Amino acid sequence: MRFGFIAAAAAVAGATAVAAVAAVAGDAVRYALIAAAVVVTALRVWRRRQRRLASDEAGSGPGSRAGGGGGPAPGGRVTAALDTFGGDVGLVARREIRERVKGRAFRVGTVVILLAVAAAVVIPVLRKGHQDYHRVGVVGALSTPLRVAVVAAGPAVGTTVRLVFEPSLAAADRDLRSGRVAIALVDARRLVVNQGLAPSDTSTTALLVRVLASDLSLQGGLEQAGIPPDRVAALAHPRPLPVTSLQPARHNDTARTTEIYSLVLTYVLLTQFGTWILIGVIEEKSSRVIEVLLSTVRPAQLLAGKVIGIGLVALAQAALIVGVALGLGAAIGSDLLHGTAASGVLGALVWVVLGYAFYSWVYAAGGSLADRQEQVQSLAFPLQLPLLFGYIVSFTALGSGEPSTLIKVLAYLPPTAPFAMPVLVGLGHATWWEFTLSAALMVVAIAVVVRLAGAIYARAILRTGGRLHVRQLFAGERA
Amino acid sequence: MLEFDGLVRHYGDVVALDGLSFTVPAGQVFGFLGPNGAGKTTAMRAVFGLVGLDHGSVRWKGAPVTATERRRFGYMPEERGLYPGMVVADQVEYLARLHGLTRPQAVDATRHWLDRMGVGDRATSKVEALSQGNQQRVQLAAALVHEPELLVLDEPLSGLDPVGVDAVGDVLMEQAADGRGVLFSSHQLDLVEHLCQSVAIIDHGHLVASGPVEELTTGGRRRLVVKVEGDWTGAWARRVPGANVSRVEGGAVRLVLDDTTDPQSVLAAAMEAGPVVQFGFERRRLSEVFREAVS
Repeated sequence: MRFGFIAAAAAVAGATAVAAVAAVAGDAVRYALIAAAVVVTALRVWRRRQRRLASDEAGSGPGSRAGGGGGPAPGGRVTAALDTFGGDVGLVARREIRERVKGRAFRVGTVVILLAVAAAVVIPVLRKGHQDYHRVGVVGALSTPLRVAVVAAGPAVGTTVRLVFEPSLAAADRDLRSGRVAIALVDARRLVVNQGLAPSDTSTTALLVRVLASDLSLQGGLEQAGIPPDRVAALAHPRPLPVTSLQPARHNDTARTTEIYSLVLTYVLLTQFGTWILIGVIEEKSSRVIEVLLSTVRPAQLLAGKVIGIGLVALAQAALIVGVALGLGAAIGSDLLHGTAASGVLGALVWVVLGYAFYSWVYAAGGSLADRQEQVQSLAFPLQLPLLFGYIVSFTALGSGEPSTLIKVLAYLPPTAPFAMPVLVGLGHATWWEFTLSAALMVVAIAVVVRLAGAIYARAILRTGGRLHVRQLFAGERA
Repeated sequence: MLEFDGLVRHYGDVVALDGLSFTVPAGQVFGFLGPNGAGKTTAMRAVFGLVGLDHGSVRWKGAPVTATERRRFGYMPEERGLYPGMVVADQVEYLARLHGLTRPQAVDATRHWLDRMGVGDRATSKVEALSQGNQQRVQLAAALVHEPELLVLDEPLSGLDPVGVDAVGDVLMEQAADGRGVLFSSHQLDLVEHLCQSVAIIDHGHLVASGPVEELTTGGRRRLVVKVEGDWTGAWARRVPGANVSRVEGGAVRLVLDDTTDPQSVLAAAMEAGPVVQFGFERRRLSEVFREAVS
């Protein structure tokens, strides 16, 4: 039920970001806004209904005690089935999900991440919005072949050219000064810009001006020389020479941006949810509730329930973030997730899951060694070091575009593979079987860590009286 | 019926349990008594598999206790523990579900037991917002919520005011009257005497006395309580041959008589000291049972 809040928060976060660009981006955004509003309203109505049902149920009859009860409410069969799913592990997992999702830290954290993601998706589009097309003002006559030539110059410099027909030179002058048009073409003989362009200027406008200047003069010259119009086009725009390269093209920027986001998100999620496991285990131990729990549940069940519960929350949050990014991207026409980037995101998601499965147990074992809540910080730091190391090395590799030997090694070491392997794949330096090999190594490592962490946890969780060291646990049992 | 059979547990050089054996019959409030550090908590944790045993076993109805049986036991550990940030009713409900109740059963039972323990109005508060006393009531509700066949309570009376002690005592007697096993520990032997039908008294990890309170307190040497007006020290009593002073409370002298001592000689000695305002036989106390057994 609490997911209603997250969905609402997501919608709000998305809507805020979307509203900011509503003016520029057009219809798609308006539809997205309307859809978000509908979703939020529907969720509110549904939740209110649920609450009313719950209070009706609570009010009905003084309730016969354990063993009695009026049976599940009609339509509650699915809930009842969900309710018993997974036995004790399921119960523990559901408690984790409920308590985590209720927590303020989670709600605020989710909103913050969503806002960051929304900004990351929207801002590049906003910036690009201005460069998407260039208006060229046209004063006087312009022959059809020349008009075609002017429009064709756009794609050559990475923009779209739109023609604006100006009634007079004065009108063109005004539009140039106000920025409505970038360039004015006067009688197909002369180009006017608002500000002078330095020879070193490589802006799209400057490039366009240079291309237009040479193209139009060539084409005008050919026309004046009496060459028929159909041959002019062929002469002015011959087929370009083929270009071959000795090395493959460098990575494209869009995919790299997506990889950076994936990398940051992987790090944030693994750190955040690992810390949750740590805090959860320490909370149970330091509050001594652990003894009550273990009088009826086995340590392995308790730990598995915790890892699964928090893991599901993590996965739902990751899915929400990716979903919002995709939805928002599609709505405003961002190319953040086009092409190979989408498969990159999926690959990163696989590594988030594997990384969580690995680190959750490490953090749980670490937590069981603590004795008081204050020890969270001192335990979290050493546990975070391998994460941080893998993250930094991967980030550096992504920045340079050339993978070092170090990252190629780290990609096969389970503690750092969740960062290094997706980056290697993104840089085109890992094949599918290398990816699979690293994932298989990770799965083996997870199996080992589960056993080891389970043994540490079971031995340490009931022992109080100061912080424990692993050596103490296995070297003879002392009080 | 819960049986402790030859439990042994060492922590390094420290012997926590040293061949402890006794039986807790169902349908009685059974006191598990002994001084601090006698091994009570270790023995109770052994019932729930929370400590490993070097030797011996715990049996329920003749069979070793496994996870299946433990589900039907209720436990209140010595160190109270609840999730501080969790809502009271959610917490008790969760523990009820872990003991095998369905959701509707858990909801009903939680409401019932929170009301019964007098904290029904705090059901929607967080545990950390409750006073220590109320947290203890919630803890007891959590131990009782699944109507366990056997209740194991470690020092359930410590930290309670007299009203709380009576309330908990009522619940324990009610549970025993329903035919359940009720085992609770205390280090204050005389305070719980009136609550228990039977007791096991331990020291240094082994049993020193056990049986119905009635039998333990009526056997042994005779006890006289004598008070002489104006006398606060009971100095006269120390001169009486064949009588040992066990305690002096507000001038009332508690004497343990040798088998051959004539009570009349004590009365005569008292009258010499001053006017006698109280003179009578009393049963022996559990603390005396303990002291005599370990001396």
